[in-house]
Formats: sequence, structure tokens, C-alpha cells
Amino acid sequence: MMKWLFGICSIVVLSILQPASADETGWALFNKAQQSVRQHNFDVSFVVLKGGQAETYRWLHGRDDAAEIEHLIPMFADGVDIVRRDQQIYYLISERPSLVTHGDSIKELPALLFEEPALIRTLYNAVAGSSSVIHGRSAQLLRLSAITDERYHYWLWIDVETGFPLRIDTLAEQHLRSENKALEIWQITHLRITPEMPDNLAQLMKVTLPLALPVEVKVQQPQQHQLGWLPSGFQIVPEPLQVPQLEPEVLSYWLLSDGLHQVSVFVQRSHRLPTQAYRDGAVTIYVQSDPQLDVTVIGPISVDTAQRLAASVR
Amino acid sequence: MLSDKHEWLSQAADNQQVTPEQLSALLQQPELQQTLQRYQLVGAVLRNESDSVLPADFSDGLANLLADEPIYQLQNQAGLMQRIKGSIRQAANAEWFKPAAHGAIAASVALVAVFGVQQYQQPLEQELAMPAPILQTRPVAGFAIPVSLSQTSVDSRFEAQEQQAMQEQQRRLQALLQAHRQQVRVTDVQHNTAHPEQENREH
Repeated sequence: MMKWLFGICSIVVLSILQPASADETGWALFNKAQQSVRQHNFDVSFVVLKGGQAETYRWLHGRDDAAEIEHLIPMFADGVDIVRRDQQIYYLISERPSLVTHGDSIKELPALLFEEPALIRTLYNAVAGSSSVIHGRSAQLLRLSAITDERYHYWLWIDVETGFPLRIDTLAEQHLRSENKALEIWQITHLRITPEMPDNLAQLMKVTLPLALPVEVKVQQPQQHQLGWLPSGFQIVPEPLQVPQLEPEVLSYWLLSDGLHQVSVFVQRSHRLPTQAYRDGAVTIYVQSDPQLDVTVIGPISVDTAQRLAASVR
Repeated sequence: MLSDKHEWLSQAADNQQVTPEQLSALLQQPELQQTLQRYQLVGAVLRNESDSVLPADFSDGLANLLADEPIYQLQNQAGLMQRIKGSIRQAANAEWFKPAAHGAIAASVALVAVFGVQQYQQPLEQELAMPAPILQTRPVAGFAIPVSLSQTSVDSRFEAQEQQAMQEQQRRLQALLQAHRQQVRVTDVQHNTAHPEQENREH
């Protein structure tokens, strides 16, 4: 009897411990990927696939004892060079003033690779998957499954040798069905990791870049409407910077964030057009229209979540 | 003038006739003599003549000359440096936020162009309740046109007006999408939000 009891207890304990251990293996892999994009000197190219469209970028990163620098170069017309030196990010446009922002990552790169792992653990479970070969390199699959329904899932393929992320798929559902393709695919097409910082970056390190001028902070006008519901884990960013070109048209505006994803909610006077939704890769653009108001929700959330958010505006 | 001088010298190096005046100039000007000598050397090398041995230090001299040459970056780095210089001359990022600057939207459009915006058919209530796939209608000239309008309307004027309204809607949505992206760029979310473990708020 005691043997049976011991056996049953052992099975229960093992079944509890095993997923936790698998989870830790996944998070260790994830940490390796994050460290890889922070620590290595590299010159890589990647492509972002959104449906039938592709955007190609070159991404250089370097660091020495004192400083970190990276340079994102869009390889398409009208692209904007983005340079980050430590905490300053510069958007450099021909014959226009630069935009200088503050942050520790370029927002046009996958936020997943740069946000605090502790934060991501509150939103996702990590499960290491099978090995495969991507562009001739051995890669380990890592599934980040959203804990709640509001978020999309991420599948990462991580280079076994260097820990560098080779591919990131954003998925609405994890079931592998033919009709359930990735909403967006981020994929490395060329990878070169070097012991030294790329030459171009060494030059950029020394160049004088524009100064960030203080942004004029306006007194926040009280919102004319109320947002009655937030998706799980999201909260309202208290003081989003105002985008003046929209001020005459936007009656109320909220920026929501779960620390990893951002969602905008705009309220405008009705243009009396049908309710619609659009997609740009993983970003949903949902417009709810009634005779009085248009509510537009934009962010990496499902149409269902966007619809519920829009419906909660009073 | 210079090319004329070189032309008759080059012909002279190929044993062609020169005028008495040219010969007189050649005899009087050491510079022309050196040029003729170089042309003859070039010709001899090209003809692979055995007695046209280059000076012993020729390759060393060439190597020294190359070593003194600056390294040219044949990438867009030079363009980037120009942009950096140009942007410093201007008033940093203030213009990005000015309402009167029409360029503000144009700049952000240029920053991240909207590609592949796909039409989501106006959904029925029951369709919204489930994770319905996005209807993938190819955009026309960069804009998605609702299928229902192009198929069901019988009044062409009405249809044109509706399509114009939809295109206007697309323009507004692209502006909102750029505004959203701009917010994401300029907002340091980590400093603006509290701990993410917030309870779901239901009113």
C-alpha cells in the first residue's frame, strides 16, 4: 500500500516539476537570444514579411567597454536611417530635421528581444521546441505562448551556436493548420558576428549627432470620453506625447501598454462609413463607426479584442 | 591645348612625323621630353619589349602611393554622414511635432510605409464572436476597396462617391497608423507604466 502511495506521489510531483523545468529551459534559451543581440558585434540583414509584402533591413550593432551603438538601415525607398547610441535614438531623414528619442532599443526592431525578461514572463509561457535548420544553421525552436487570449504568440528560432534569433513568427493561433499562417515573419537573411565592432559603427560612434531638444509638453486636456475596458495586463499610459497634426480631428486619445505591446485608441467624429478592420502584418486597424463617433483601435491585438475595446468607449 | 600637346607627343612616340616647330619645342622643353619618355615606356611595356624594364623600385613606389590613398567607403555611409550634418544644421526634432508642418505626416509616412493593408469585410455579430480570418482583398492602387460597394451598387455616381469616401477613410487611417507608430517611438513605456501585473479592469 505504501509503495503504491509513494508511486502515485512521485508521479504527481514529477508531473508538476517537469513543465516548470521545461519552462526554465525555454527561458534560458530566451535569455540567450536577448543577450546575443545586446552583447555581440554583428552585421546582419533581415526581412519582415507581412502577407505578400516584404521589407528588408540591414542591422549593425557594436559595443565596447564604454558604449553601445546600433544602426538600422531600411533597404527600400524613403526608408529612414535609425541610429541608437546608448540611450539616444536618432531618426535621420534627408533634408528634414531629425527625430531624437530616448530609449534602450530601436522601436522598429522586435520589442521582444529587448524588454525585461521578468516582464515577458508575466505575459508568456516559454517552451523549447524541436531543432531545425535555417539557412544552413542549426536552430532551436522556442515557443512563447501568450498566457491570455489578448496577445499573439511568438515562435522564435534561435541559432544554437551563437544564440542569435534567426526567425520570429507572430501567430494568432498556435495550431499548425494550413490556413493558420504567421501574421508576420521576421527573418534573418545574412548573419555575420565579428569580434570587433563593424567599421561603420566605429565611425558613427565619433560623429556629432543632433541634440535632443526638450519636447514641448502641453497641458493634457481632459478626455471627452471614457474607456470602459482594458485587455488583461494592459494599462493606460498616463501622459502620451501629443501628435499635433491630429489634434483638430481627434476628440479623445488613449495609449495602452502591457510593457511589450502598445495599442492606440482614437475617437473622432463619425464619417458615417461601415465598421471595418485592416491588418498591417501583426497590427490590427479596427474602425467602429456609429452615427456620432468613429473609434479606431490600432495595435498588435486580435480583431475581437480591438472590437471590445472600441465598444467600451462611452 | 593640353590634349593637343599630348596628341602630337603620343604620335611622336609612335614614330610618326612631327613639324619643325614641334621638334624645336621638344628640344627646348625638358617637361615635354619627360612626357615623351613616359609614352615610349608605356608603348614598350604594351608591346612587351624585353628592354623596356621598369625601374627597379617601380612596384615599391606604386605601393607607397596606394598606401597614402585614403580608404573610400563605397557604401551609403557617406550619404548618412551628409544627412547627419544636414540635420544638425536644422532645428533638431521640434519640427516633427509642429501641427502646421505638413511634413510631419509626410515624414512619418516615409518612415514606415503602410503596405498590404487588407480589407476586413464589415462583420456580422456572430462573425465577430469568433476568430474569423481576415478577408484578404488585394489593395487597389495602395488602397483597399470594399467588395460590397463595387458589386452591389447600380448608380455609378453613388459608387464613385462611396469609393472616394472610402479612399478618404484610408487616408485618415494611414495618418492614425503613423500617429500610433510615432507615439510608440517617442514614449518611453517602461517609465510611463507601472508594474504590468495589473488586474483586468472591467467597468
